[in-house]
Amino acid sequence: MSSVLSQTIPLPALTVPAPLRWLVLVALLMSGCTAMPTAETPRTQGAPVTADTELSGSPALALLERAGQAREQGRDAAAGRYLERALTMAPNSSWLYRELALLRLEEGDPAAAEGLARRALRLAPDNDAYRADLWELVAAARAELNDPEGADAARARAEKLRRGQA
Amino acid sequence: MAKKAKTSKSSKKRKVSRQRRRWWSWRFIGKLALVLLLLAAAGLAYLDAYVRDRFDSHVWQLPARVYARPVELYPGRVLSRNDMLKLLELMRYRRAAGAPTPGSYSTDGNTLVIHTRGFRDSDGGEQAERIRVTLGGDRIRALSGGGGNDSVARLEPLQIGSIHPGHTEDRVFVPLDRVPPLLVQMLIATEDRDFYDHHGISPRGLARAMLANLKAGGLVQGGSTLTQQLVKNFWLTQDRTLARKLVEMPMAVLLELHYSKEQILEAYLNEVYLGQDGNRAIHGMGLGAQFYFGRPLEELEPHQLATLVALLKGPSYYDPRRNEARAKARRNTVLRVAHDEGALSDRDFQRYKERGLEVVPRGASPLYAFPAFIDLVRRQLARDYPPEVLGADGLRIHSTLDVLAQLASESALREHLKRIDGSGDRLNGSVVVVAPSQGDVLALVSSRKPRDHGYNRALDASRQIGSLIKPAVVLTALKQPKRYSLATLVPDQPITVPLANGKTWTPQNFSGESHGPVPLLDVLVHSYNQGTVNLGMDLGPGEVVKTLEQLGVRRKIPAYPSILLGSINMTPFEVAMWYQPLATGGFATPLRSITDVLDKNGDPLARYPVETSEVLDSGPAYLTQWAMQQVINSGTGRGARRVLPQDLRVAGKTGTSDQYRDAWFAGFSGNHLAVVWVGRDNNQSAQVTGATGALPVWSQVMASLPQTSLSDTPPPGVENVWMAPSGDETSGENCNDARQYPMMEVSIPTASDGCGDSGPVRKAGKGVVDWFKGLFN
Repeated sequence: MSSVLSQTIPLPALTVPAPLRWLVLVALLMSGCTAMPTAETPRTQGAPVTADTELSGSPALALLERAGQAREQGRDAAAGRYLERALTMAPNSSWLYRELALLRLEEGDPAAAEGLARRALRLAPDNDAYRADLWELVAAARAELNDPEGADAARARAEKLRRGQA
Repeated sequence: MAKKAKTSKSSKKRKVSRQRRRWWSWRFIGKLALVLLLLAAAGLAYLDAYVRDRFDSHVWQLPARVYARPVELYPGRVLSRNDMLKLLELMRYRRAAGAPTPGSYSTDGNTLVIHTRGFRDSDGGEQAERIRVTLGGDRIRALSGGGGNDSVARLEPLQIGSIHPGHTEDRVFVPLDRVPPLLVQMLIATEDRDFYDHHGISPRGLARAMLANLKAGGLVQGGSTLTQQLVKNFWLTQDRTLARKLVEMPMAVLLELHYSKEQILEAYLNEVYLGQDGNRAIHGMGLGAQFYFGRPLEELEPHQLATLVALLKGPSYYDPRRNEARAKARRNTVLRVAHDEGALSDRDFQRYKERGLEVVPRGASPLYAFPAFIDLVRRQLARDYPPEVLGADGLRIHSTLDVLAQLASESALREHLKRIDGSGDRLNGSVVVVAPSQGDVLALVSSRKPRDHGYNRALDASRQIGSLIKPAVVLTALKQPKRYSLATLVPDQPITVPLANGKTWTPQNFSGESHGPVPLLDVLVHSYNQGTVNLGMDLGPGEVVKTLEQLGVRRKIPAYPSILLGSINMTPFEVAMWYQPLATGGFATPLRSITDVLDKNGDPLARYPVETSEVLDSGPAYLTQWAMQQVINSGTGRGARRVLPQDLRVAGKTGTSDQYRDAWFAGFSGNHLAVVWVGRDNNQSAQVTGATGALPVWSQVMASLPQTSLSDTPPPGVENVWMAPSGDETSGENCNDARQYPMMEVSIPTASDGCGDSGPVRKAGKGVVDWFKGLFN
């Protein structure tokens, strides 16, 4: 599990029908959310953005872990509260905003999810692979909001970032 | 006599009268008895239905309770030993060796052992646990204990208010299994010794009471059973009418018939009236414990429990706050009776009867300490919950209030106003403190006397904002990076603006002097009026209005030229709302005072989650924030450095309205935004400026909170560039009068003054790699 977390998750080219895309995305992203990372890589420019790199040594990490457990149990309110508490301890953590965005998308509030995902983007300007994932998340939120053009634009940004990385 | 005379007269008459007597006879009595019996049965059946219906469907009137944010404890958290102790005192933790019970703590130098009280929260909450907190250097150095190996612990949220719109009954429901057994023993010993044996009414108790009253030559005991008292409190009006007396007894019997002693006891303990707090009626032992001792019922000591029982005889007559001697005498009677009944040992009796009453002073309760903030909570709640729900359903409202931030803000305002206004009541003020990234309102002060209910200046005082508007003017310019950068020269020169009504407007600078062409940055840093108006007229006031709307201002603002100098009225709270996106680099987050609503059992009912949306591009947002930092580093806000650390990156803006009516300061660090207003309620001149009236308060508030710096990493597309004074040529680091500005890439001029590292110098930029990457992105 920790190996999943300590690297950003590469997203396969999505060939699933559009409405299912975000489901796939959420499933993919969530697979890494619940585990507690163990590796300790210091954050450098362009280095992976993970819960571990951002929150190493912070008590926010324990709350993030509990948020993951709560979500597994379907306790969304609890997960939200844990994540927000973590955020007061680590207000500039892109990862925590990403987690909140995923939660809100799952809860059926794509508008909020987009805002939070963009906040996550703003806080992690350096890692292209991670940013590409976040743009996919924005795309999923926009698709939910019946904004196909916006979703396409976000996906194009994700593609561009991945190409730049390759 | 007349009758006798008649009967002796004739047998005829005797016959008639005999016939009459027959008519009055057994049959009639039998019928009458039957009718009466039927009536009585019907009455009883009615009473029975009534009693059961009301008891079964009784809804406790449980007002919504508002709590401050729970205090999070974790290693690294900024928290002085003093503040930690202040919190524990506020929450009425007892100092006791070994912290044996929830709600107690012990100290050993910088290490505190705290036995927390558990609580429920949307995330499940916390168990009561014993934790060890080591403080040092104004931080938590280490934390251990508790159930798991977690590095995070929480103190229960402090209750700061209750909301009961419809009625004035207040209570804290306590189930019987959480009522201290000693309380029940004392209650039964003093009020109804036969409680477990009688069926609702107790002839023995009545006789005993009468005897006791005779002996004492006055009313010392009442003969009513607890059941009767409950009936009285629960169903009947308080007036002592005969009709009431008549139904009280059968109702008590019926109640006993249908319900267990435990159910009756629980209802009694939660219903009983224990005093009055203004128009709020204190019901039940749970609230009684809070009201008189500031602690949960479970934590009361025997002498305190006895005081509550003593109150039953007459909450006003035995009020321990007003009639200390009387209350103490009655309390000791309760202790003695409990001792006689074997509920209290000799030793305990001797010990506790010597204790003082130990009630908390009425004003000391945090329950009414923050009326302005509660007002905000009430307004936000009213949007989602009807009054009847708030009054009855026992909702638990978890708010965003940070008690330490609130107390620090109150004292900062009070102390400064005392300094500049003596003891007079001429000046007043308001402080709003927000955690900008989540929009949490941490503190709200609406008066220099913050305990007073009344005018909520933070929410309702709409005052002219003056120069607080200037960051919006500068931001409007920076949103056009091809035209403007912070280095662009702006004429700080006299300007006359023709107005729609045919008149003209000629704004003056604060100093009365004009400064000629100055960099746009300086217009903000030194708050030059003429420069701002020249810039704003160039942009168009309508564009500035658009910027304000983008930042979240909802009030309709006319695009008059005078708005460029802030001739707009806003409340301190509104200012906090639109400064919030400036503090976060362009993300608007609605300000919230509530995070979670739980039901009366502590299960989550609703969340008010963090919402955010990107309203500004990162470039202009960063540049505006940076310019506002220079206000504090070298401009009108530099007085803040007297109090704040030199290396803390904070940003802000002063505001002073016409005739010195309003003094403002609004500014932020990486984790706190604070808005301060000082002025007079009657809108007369306050004779203070933003820098002298409001800035010192702001600085003090910020200094007393744990701060993080604003980021100094420019976002992609922004670089730090050395610029020539002309504002349209780059220059080099050691060149004459060259200044470094962060600039959007599109703003960087291609021309150079040829000094130093010429060309588009990116010395302080983000390095070659990023520059290279930028080419491809």
